[in-house]
Amino acid sequence: MPYRVNRVVAVASLLVLLALISPVQAVGYRSSWNVVESGTEADLLTAEAYGEHGIWAFGKDGVMVKSSDNGSTWELTDSPTSSDLLYSDSAHGALVVAAADGLVLIKQEIGVEWLDISLQAGSQVNGIALTSNRSVVAVGTGGSIWKYDNGIWEGISSGVDSDLMSVSFLDNTLGVAVGASGTILFSDDEGTTWDYRDSPSEASASVISSVVFFSDVRIYATTNDGQVLISSRDGAIDVGFLWTSVTFERHYPPGGTEYVGWPPSLGVELASLEVTQTTRLHLTGPDGYLAMSVNGGSIVSQQINPLGNNSSFNDIAMITNFVGVAVGEGGAILWTDNAGADEQVGFEVMNFNDFGEFVDYAKETLFGGFLATIKIVMFGIILGFLLGVTLAMGKTSPVSLRNTVERFDYKKVRYLGAPLSAIGLYMFYLAIPEIEAIGLDGIEHIFVPVGAPWAFAKILLGIGLTFVGAMFLGHNGTFAKLEIGSVKLDPWRVRPLNNIATVYTDFFRNTPLIVQFMFIHFGLQIGMHLQDAGTGLFSDIYILLGGVEGVGGKLAIWELRSGDYATDAPDSLVSIHRFMFSDRAYLSAICALGLNSAAYQCETIRGAIQAIPSAQMEAGRSIGLTYLQTMRRVILPQAIRICIPPMGNEMVNLVLNSSLAMVIGYAELTRQGKLITALTFQMAYTWGMVLISYFVITWTLALLLRRLEEKTRIPGLGMTGGE
Amino acid sequence: MSDTVLEIDDLHKIYAGGVHAVRGISFEVNQGESVAIIGSSGSGKSTVLRCINRLIEPTDGAIYLKGDQINTPQTDINQVRSRIGMVFQSFELFAHLRVIDNITLGLIHVREMSRKDAEAEALEVLERVDMLDRKDAFPGNLSGGQKQRVAIARALAMKPEVMLFDEPTSALDPELIGSVLKTIRSLADEGMTMVVVTHEISFARDVADRVVYMDEGKIAEQGFSSIIEDPKTERLKRFLSSIHEEDVSEHINEQLVEGDTGFGYVPDGTGARPRGGP
Repeated sequence: MPYRVNRVVAVASLLVLLALISPVQAVGYRSSWNVVESGTEADLLTAEAYGEHGIWAFGKDGVMVKSSDNGSTWELTDSPTSSDLLYSDSAHGALVVAAADGLVLIKQEIGVEWLDISLQAGSQVNGIALTSNRSVVAVGTGGSIWKYDNGIWEGISSGVDSDLMSVSFLDNTLGVAVGASGTILFSDDEGTTWDYRDSPSEASASVISSVVFFSDVRIYATTNDGQVLISSRDGAIDVGFLWTSVTFERHYPPGGTEYVGWPPSLGVELASLEVTQTTRLHLTGPDGYLAMSVNGGSIVSQQINPLGNNSSFNDIAMITNFVGVAVGEGGAILWTDNAGADEQVGFEVMNFNDFGEFVDYAKETLFGGFLATIKIVMFGIILGFLLGVTLAMGKTSPVSLRNTVERFDYKKVRYLGAPLSAIGLYMFYLAIPEIEAIGLDGIEHIFVPVGAPWAFAKILLGIGLTFVGAMFLGHNGTFAKLEIGSVKLDPWRVRPLNNIATVYTDFFRNTPLIVQFMFIHFGLQIGMHLQDAGTGLFSDIYILLGGVEGVGGKLAIWELRSGDYATDAPDSLVSIHRFMFSDRAYLSAICALGLNSAAYQCETIRGAIQAIPSAQMEAGRSIGLTYLQTMRRVILPQAIRICIPPMGNEMVNLVLNSSLAMVIGYAELTRQGKLITALTFQMAYTWGMVLISYFVITWTLALLLRRLEEKTRIPGLGMTGGE
Repeated sequence: MSDTVLEIDDLHKIYAGGVHAVRGISFEVNQGESVAIIGSSGSGKSTVLRCINRLIEPTDGAIYLKGDQINTPQTDINQVRSRIGMVFQSFELFAHLRVIDNITLGLIHVREMSRKDAEAEALEVLERVDMLDRKDAFPGNLSGGQKQRVAIARALAMKPEVMLFDEPTSALDPELIGSVLKTIRSLADEGMTMVVVTHEISFARDVADRVVYMDEGKIAEQGFSSIIEDPKTERLKRFLSSIHEEDVSEHINEQLVEGDTGFGYVPDGTGARPRGGP
């Protein structure tokens, strides 16, 4: 049976196409951190770039390892101590390292031996910084600050008793120290005196654990509850005075694209902070947390940890913006020459002449277009059909001036005529100055509907009302015809619904669809208006469901242009809203296709209605059904069945016409095809695939309609002639 | 008479093209009476019938149903039509609906009955026209006679005060006429008030209480059905003699009415054997 063969071929080709253009897997990532051999098993606690191509790392039991080639190979060096080395700093050609118990070692120049300049026993050191190659500032518990200069340590009054956790100097004069209870101290005299600075309220109870005085415009600090603090120079106010807590916009998991939006904190007890550019931060934390931000912290991306999440890192030391190391537990050292940023896997130069590679590259784009086309086609058909049926009913409606008026006493009708014509004439009176005001000459007046649409509407209304009013005024109960010479006119037979529907269909069938698309989208901006209406509607639903209006509610959340939703908005609501109202071009495209198709479908349906014997209407009316009831229960059910085959034509046309939606920037199949050709220059491949995709849509539609036709066939009607 | 159901007074119809189809018809139909309208084609019979339930708007004249004029603009025409049953020459069943749904349509949407009640009602009238066994069939799968009986049932279900039959057997083959005429006859016997436009002279003679003979838009002769046996006017005489040959003979008619099996018999000239029989 040919029919069954058809179906098999259709299903098979659909499957092949789906296989071809099914979405690709998520893009893969690979860490740019490389594991290198450190030469020790001891936990490494701190690292510092020192000298040309040199990096030192210090750890438990006084372990010291160093690299002289930017960190790619390491060697263990002799250590003068066995204390856990926790803090280090390098500047001014010197390198200093300290332990918690007050041990301080300094290398005053490259190549010289370690000099032991330990504090007195019992001092609890938490941070250290160099102010010159011979002077050091250390901070510790209970607000202690010590300053080393000329071979002697001197206690400095900090004015606070909170534990100080970290200290950092920009040069030999400007320094910042941070600590518990949101303490921030600032010095502009080599650490001799310290001023208290207000921390942002978000961090006032937090322990600020690390600080980096990066430049004269920026200081970064991190807290042990996952906040990042920033101080910037603000006009005349120097850096260090004003502190803010970074608002996190997105926090990406390692290798992921699904981020957490607007988290209050990173939720990590950050262990270290490294800054390589004004806005580029590297963060480490427990559970293998390795993260970076390239925009000053507002978007933080966790990077893949090549050793897995069990291996945590205590410090990151960068030699340049891109080259550096991370040191951590068990002597682990990671080395990167790409700033530690994850690299996309599979991003390579593709050979688009290879059809397989081309399809791999293009299928996702094409599939997006495929779905987009189906979306507008589906809704376009629904809109077109509903409107088409309405118009067809309008066109076949027997409602005329005469049978509207007939049931009333003609004298009453006559009374109504006067005000109607008066209103009609008043409409002219209103409209004419408006039309004159736009300043058109002669033939230019055909553009009045564009220049003064409301005035034009008034003119139409005026014509209608004046005509009807005049008819009513002249009504004497006889419904006489008008005779002008040999021409007989019957104004009482005017059918208003028919006229409106005719104007509609004539307009849409006599103008190019592509222009309709542009006028509807760019001119009337129907998409935008629908989007606004839809956004308002969904906000109201959200509020009705118990959502909160205001910030975080109606205003910020349903503001589609930023694409954000309230975190407590129901998922179903958000997804429906996103599906229907996220794209203006989509809404406009549905309108343009639907309105245009309605004009054509109207004629098809009208034909089918007229193909139903008039006696069917009589039969319906004779049992007492009203006109509309008969239409709905008797005529339309039969007419729709008749017009399924020609409607199939209309729907296929609608699918093909949907390609014009590309002119309004809607990402349907043809536009996606154009995008692919622009990227790949493969014309034959691209347009061939686009053609097949269209064919699949139209053919599936045709099959569905054939099935529908079969299902709704009325037994005993239609052609039969045996097998 | 006090129990006049339908009264037509000086009815005129001029069609849009200027054809004066009905020129002053007046007659009455009493409760339980069946009136046959006969006449040649184009004499205005169907127009009169259609004017009664205003499928055609009369140009002039008055129509009264149980004393109320129903052809005023203020009349609720749908309500009036539901009181008047109409059976068409070409059945006009709703092809997309099953037999039972054809009947319940009006009950549900005009009488506003529940589907359950409507179906009970429908089964009852289908029983009356002997179509109960085909209640789930689609009209397209019924024979002409069966269709017409369903159409009668559809009109009957609305419990009309008067039934109008517009040449109910004209579209049927002679072998299918019997069952329909039998149904109409039984309705008449039950006392249904009806107006039948027909070409079946024998039927008019046997079933109708009164006969109206129309010619050229006017009533040429009317009276009890005996006028068919004994026409007074020359025109009726001529009419009767002209259609005499088309009349189904009494003998065959009887047999058709009695012996309807639903498959139909074809007269073989002697009326003795069914088609395809031994």
